[in-house]
Amino acid sequence: MTNPATTIEETTDQVDTRVPVTVLTGFLGSGKTTLLNRILTEQHGLRIAVIENEFGEVGVDDALVLDAEEEIFEMNNGCICCTVRGDLIRILGALMRRRDTFDRIIIETTGLADPAPVAQTFFMDDEIASQLRLDAIVTLVDAAHILEHLDEVKPEGVENEAVEQVAFADKIVLNKTDLVSEAHLTEVTARIRAINTPVEIIRAQHAKVELDKILDVHAFDLDRVLEGDPAFLTETEHQHDTTVTSVGIDLPGDLDQERLNRWLGQLLRTKGADIFRSKGILAIAGSERQYVFQGVHMLLEGENGRPWRDGEMRRNRLVFIGRNLDREELNEGFADCLAANSLAGGHA
Amino acid sequence: MTTATNAPAWTTAVDDAPIAVAAAADLVAIAGAGGTAWILEAATGTPVGTVTLPGGLLAAAFSPDAAHLALSGPVGHALWRRADGRVLAEQTGAWSSAVRWAAPDRLAVASGRRALVLDTDGAQQWATDPAPSTVTDVAWLREGRRLASSAYGGVRCHERHTDKPVAEYKYLGSHLAIALNPNGRWICTGNQDSSIHIWRTRDGDDLTMQGYPEKIARLAFDDTGRWLASDGAPDITVWEFSGKGPAGTSPRSLRAHETITALAWRPGSSAVLASAGAEGTVAFWRADSGRPGTRVKPTWMRELPEPVTAMAWADPHTLVIADYEGRIEAWPLPDSLAR
Repeated sequence: MTNPATTIEETTDQVDTRVPVTVLTGFLGSGKTTLLNRILTEQHGLRIAVIENEFGEVGVDDALVLDAEEEIFEMNNGCICCTVRGDLIRILGALMRRRDTFDRIIIETTGLADPAPVAQTFFMDDEIASQLRLDAIVTLVDAAHILEHLDEVKPEGVENEAVEQVAFADKIVLNKTDLVSEAHLTEVTARIRAINTPVEIIRAQHAKVELDKILDVHAFDLDRVLEGDPAFLTETEHQHDTTVTSVGIDLPGDLDQERLNRWLGQLLRTKGADIFRSKGILAIAGSERQYVFQGVHMLLEGENGRPWRDGEMRRNRLVFIGRNLDREELNEGFADCLAANSLAGGHA
Repeated sequence: MTTATNAPAWTTAVDDAPIAVAAAADLVAIAGAGGTAWILEAATGTPVGTVTLPGGLLAAAFSPDAAHLALSGPVGHALWRRADGRVLAEQTGAWSSAVRWAAPDRLAVASGRRALVLDTDGAQQWATDPAPSTVTDVAWLREGRRLASSAYGGVRCHERHTDKPVAEYKYLGSHLAIALNPNGRWICTGNQDSSIHIWRTRDGDDLTMQGYPEKIARLAFDDTGRWLASDGAPDITVWEFSGKGPAGTSPRSLRAHETITALAWRPGSSAVLASAGAEGTVAFWRADSGRPGTRVKPTWMRELPEPVTAMAWADPHTLVIADYEGRIEAWPLPDSLAR
């Protein structure tokens, strides 16, 4: 169980045998149905269950396709932005009781659905979390129309769903690239990066994507982009006038676990409603292993990753994606978590 | 703990993962997650018939006279008639997670956001108006005249003369299961947010039992209405409802399992509870032993190769257990528990 005020603690290493779940989202017309049909008909030898939110156009004999009507439940735990999807809890619960097992589960949501309750369901329900693993949120984007959707001005207090879906994504499939110019693609890519800097963007035509790029990719918890060169994290050249942005931090040194817990707990308690996603790979003082965490709004969970290699610089890379983020405040707050004797010489 | 020499009265197998065991009179039914229910003679395990509801099963219940079996699942509900084996399967497309009989000729079925009251020919007698979410459980009050249904936001009670609720017990959150104590005094729900909510039926006065590590998906009163057992893992908690109710008291904790997969009170007033866990253990308890606020040890326990996913008492001396692989066993009550 992950509570709003989460503390980081040691966990044991175990091979994760939980079934990976992919959340597939995107506006009507972005090519979701084409992609789903492609996934279901391709000769991959996997047993796949699909939970659909939209009127079922998908129907394949080998796969189990279930309909779901979005039921968003607030939780009575004092965490204001914490909601779960009741429909998914009951459908996934029933699925797990069946004897026929599935290699992959795909949850399709409409372009209007809020991805947060879907993700939070995997944090909040132990029965689900014990057997299923949120693998990635994959957002399909129509290259020709995404800019209009992102630019659409909503009435006060109403979310722009396209911005949210881009912000929550671990992978973006930029579809219909054959319908627009290279210059337009560059602009779209820049706009996406301004919102969600670390997201992997996969270009596609007719929703043709290699499945191993979007299924069972461990993108929700440990983004390979973060694993690689993180220079782009702190890059600011693509900043547009947008309220939903990413703030990346890359800081060498060791963290004081207690101070980190206090800062992160306080941050998510007070700003959790605005912070859509957070993830990072951290160096905790006294630990031989990387610490890997991921969060959605106020919920956060983490575990020990691989050991730091000999000669590898111990550093902390993390990213926040959200609304009205204060880059300076986040940078300073995080720097204050460095251990006093850290080589990077944090504040004592 | 005494050693077990009790051999099963009979064993059999079904070709599915059981999700429920139902029992009444001389029959038991094993409901499989895939959609088929196997009906067996309780005394011998001899097959009597099968019923299939396409799309899977979530719940099963016999009418009190065992003349009918009701089944419900993700896309509808079904009725089986013992006299001639007739099956009425209704594929409504609506999620149906609960069935409960009011009388031998009348039952309630959760159906999407409504609860339907049907006769034994499957004809609808009346229905509730839509709840705020899919109905999770149903239960009868006032000798089968008032129907309680749980959903997001609380419990609503309906009667035949109007489709609007005649009483509402509201509490924010997703209520997963209802337990009514047999004298109708208390309405309890198990909740997604790891709590039990309790209302006094008369005036709606309520309290919440919090602090469970996991959601409460199973909770049940014994026949006397004095004891309420629930999951919420790993301990089973048992609250005492004598006198003014459990407010201000402490529960007994029954620790044997890691994650609870089934709970079944022995019929009668013995306060004997059977439970099963995901790790493959089955335990029997005297829930009234020990003191409030203390941990109670199982009176009898056995480890099985597969987790038991459902169980029911065929009579006060026989517990029918069903494991994940479809193995069914009828266990006599351990000698140490017979009174």
